Amino acid sequence: MAQPLLGNSGSLSILAGAQTGVSEEDSRILRGLRAGIESAYEELIDRYEQPVYGMVYRLLGNSSDASDVVQEVFLKVFRGINSFREQSSLRTWIYRIAVNEAHNHRRWFARHCQREVPFPYERDEPTCSVEYAADPGRSPYEQVLDSEHRSLIERALTRINPVFRTAVVLRDIQNLSYEEIAEILQVSIGTVKSRILRGREALRRELTERPDRSLAEAMA
Amino acid sequence: MMCSSVKRQSTDYIDGRLRASERSRVEAHLRECEECALEIDQLASVRSSLRELAQPVPPAGLRTKLQVQASRERQALLESNWSILQRVWNRWMFRLDQAMRPITLPATGGLLASIILFAGLANMISTTTRGVTYEVPVVYADHTDPNLVPVELRSAVVLTLSLDSTGRIRDYAVQDGSASFVGDPTRLQADNISMPEFPGVLALAQPTNRDISISFIPILFRH
Repeated sequence: MAQPLLGNSGSLSILAGAQTGVSEEDSRILRGLRAGIESAYEELIDRYEQPVYGMVYRLLGNSSDASDVVQEVFLKVFRGINSFREQSSLRTWIYRIAVNEAHNHRRWFARHCQREVPFPYERDEPTCSVEYAADPGRSPYEQVLDSEHRSLIERALTRINPVFRTAVVLRDIQNLSYEEIAEILQVSIGTVKSRILRGREALRRELTERPDRSLAEAMA
Repeated sequence: MMCSSVKRQSTDYIDGRLRASERSRVEAHLRECEECALEIDQLASVRSSLRELAQPVPPAGLRTKLQVQASRERQALLESNWSILQRVWNRWMFRLDQAMRPITLPATGGLLASIILFAGLANMISTTTRGVTYEVPVVYADHTDPNLVPVELRSAVVLTLSLDSTGRIRDYAVQDGSASFVGDPTRLQADNISMPEFPGVLALAQPTNRDISISFIPILFRH
């Protein structure tokens, strides 16, 4: 009996990543954007505001910074739509811009803002505040547990190497295929796998080897 | 199978990307190696925790900012695509629209209407003296002989009346070609000189003074 080429759970993502160039849907939006049709701009924002914001927020860990970066991303998308060569999907192209912008923002922040000393009354304030969609099916107690668990994961995520964090975010949170991640990061699939593995291991260490610290920070 | 091989394939294994044969070999190793099994289990747990993270909701104002940004960029794109003629046409239409816009606004329209009305009214009450010459020959009845022929015009006598805001004569002056004098208005009546009543003059809705000049030109006739 012939062996299946792919595992069941992996087949969909591989197929999704196997497509090259833009889809019919992407082409329609691109034509609209290039013709200056208002509804095309609306549709682009409808489709990508939330996922791009979510990804950038996970990469930067700060709502305000993420909001600024998302605006920069969309500005570059609007201005660069005529130079997009359609060799990748529209989503991949937008995500690549978003990852680069987040990376640039992080480097700029590290260069300019790390030496700033916060005012004393700011020290106890959370570094970021973000809203999540409420889950009506959860009891208040479960929602508190969810919140603590989410804080643990998010704080661990901000402590790992940004290169590995990007790969993990694209794979495990944005649910992109290896091929799409390779296109976005402009690296080989082998490198993508390596970064995902190292990112997950780093997170595992943060959550298992230093749980007290993580918990203490989550409860702070 | 070595632990290092399992570790190398752990990403594909957790993500379900291994072929069935490879997957079986990894699972066989995990059944024997407790350390690798624990590590793979923890990595899978990390993955599922990340997948269960709720999507953060963008700030309320972000969408509006993006829409504004999109509107600007769209306009810039359209303008860059237009021909020179279209650009000039649009520019002029825009300027015309800008110029006409205040008229369409009720408040500005009302203000403009007030200005026009007031300007018309001000013109009516203007104190500007207009040079009007009335050449009315004044002759006596016994000189109305059809054989009379005007032969000489003598120098004019100019009577200048200064009126106050109520239209009454404040003073007057008489001047001919050689001499002049300023008279006392109270003597007009004494000298049996009768002058008409003048209406009060308004300037910008306020009573004001003015001068009226009357020229008397004597004419010499002969038969």
